Amino acid sequence: MNDFAKKLFQNSKSVVDAIPVVVSSRIRLARNLADAKFVKYACKSDLRMIADMCIDALAKCPILSGSNVVAMGDLLEYERTSLVERHMCSQEFTANINEARLLFTDDQLISIMINEEDHLRMQIFRPNLNFREMFDSINEIDDHLSENLDIAFDERYGFLTSCPTNVGTGMRASVMLHLPALSILKQMNNLVLAVQKLGFVARGLFGEGSDSQGNFFQISNQQTLGLSEVDILSRLSQIIKSIIDYELNFREIVKKERIVWLYDNIGRALGILRGCYSMASVDAINCISLMMLASDLEYLPNDLRHELNQIMMKMQGSHLQVLANRPLNAAERDIKRAEILREFFATVPNLKFM
Amino acid sequence: MDKCQFCGKQATVHMTQIVNGKMTAVHMCGECAAKHGLFDKEGLPFAMLSTIGEALFAGIKKSASMNGLICSKCGCTPMSFKETGRLGCPNCYKDLKPLVDGIVESSQKGMVHSGKVPKSRTTVEVEKALAADKVKCGDGVGSTGRKVGKRGSVKGRVGDLQKMLDEAIRDERYEEAAALRDEIRKLKK
Repeated sequence: MNDFAKKLFQNSKSVVDAIPVVVSSRIRLARNLADAKFVKYACKSDLRMIADMCIDALAKCPILSGSNVVAMGDLLEYERTSLVERHMCSQEFTANINEARLLFTDDQLISIMINEEDHLRMQIFRPNLNFREMFDSINEIDDHLSENLDIAFDERYGFLTSCPTNVGTGMRASVMLHLPALSILKQMNNLVLAVQKLGFVARGLFGEGSDSQGNFFQISNQQTLGLSEVDILSRLSQIIKSIIDYELNFREIVKKERIVWLYDNIGRALGILRGCYSMASVDAINCISLMMLASDLEYLPNDLRHELNQIMMKMQGSHLQVLANRPLNAAERDIKRAEILREFFATVPNLKFM
Repeated sequence: MDKCQFCGKQATVHMTQIVNGKMTAVHMCGECAAKHGLFDKEGLPFAMLSTIGEALFAGIKKSASMNGLICSKCGCTPMSFKETGRLGCPNCYKDLKPLVDGIVESSQKGMVHSGKVPKSRTTVEVEKALAADKVKCGDGVGSTGRKVGKRGSVKGRVGDLQKMLDEAIRDERYEEAAALRDEIRKLKK
């Protein structure tokens, strides 16, 4: 493992207990300096000046003291994309690396993209759901920033962003949910349509086979103008809470109506994870999803949930390459992935069905 | 196993998104997904980076007022927005107002900011800006979760919004006018 990998892996991301259904949540604020061109139109020397000014201002913020700054251009391609897999930056940020810097705290829960499409994209991440505490922290950083830098703001449009679809609060909040029971009972379409009607965006991630219906869904706000930050977050929390209730109720239904199916699928998935020698990422995600469900339903120890979140992150393509310290092709990744999963699940106790 | 829709290789990225109530599934290989920057384009259709501008541009009502617009600070025009999907600098919001309003109208439900304002604005900066007559309304009051600075008064904000409302009605920007009216009502409560 090289120094970058050590730095990345030595800090386990989660400092808080994992909870059922919610995989993670995130709030991100987009900000720009008032007197500079937006990133897409700025020249290299402008971008360097912007980066220096932002880092200077952020370094003085108490929450961020002792943070790390990395120039994206100094990293290998798979090292950059591993940061996307850790939810520390966007995919776009890894592609346009001209004077792009990433500032992040040691616990990796706060990360700030400098010179993404906006000068600053500041995000806070949690492996559970607590918008109030998250917003307070990110808001403190934002206040500190605007006291030290002239931030682009307009009375009518709010915070000015390089794409007008982000103006106003410049805030995106998103929650990643694990919804196996809704998926088993084929309720995903209804859910995403309902979420959309409420003005939020639902996106399926890690689709399964041809029907593209995985068990993981990300819900985020679409509207950034005309609602306050608190309004957006409280609406989103309400929606998330009702989805959690649905999911938990549906799990009870699955336990009543589809118990053999459930035991069979969980049992087979664990068998696959313990015996695999080449595993594609989609298959791994689906198997791990069932292990998460098993842990939530106490067929596996409850405290395994946090480790399952970790293994889910570590078995992603770029993480495997960071671990191997070299680029791997798809076939090599599948073999490496299987190795990690086999080793981990060998230590997991046998299923205890009620 | 699905094939990448762009190059036909084995797809390793599968995404589903609902756009205008219609579910779309996309299958891609990792390389094409990275190339098209399909991640993290929240709130936007599955457009490729270069076509986001076009998609946004296509969604707005084009009017004669759009011709000949150019940002006096950075030189950005509606055409360069169409190409890149991004504005050039904060001043574009003033100089390319008809374009910005069109995009905001088609992509946002609200028309007037009601969230937080930068902290410095509530004190020294606003006074400076007001003195220089750069900022028309100066108290930085949002309708909810609002902060009121030294100069902050609901009355002042209502006055400013009223001015913006009059302008909007004069220019026949009715959707914006309605939003401003609602914002004024909220403040008067």
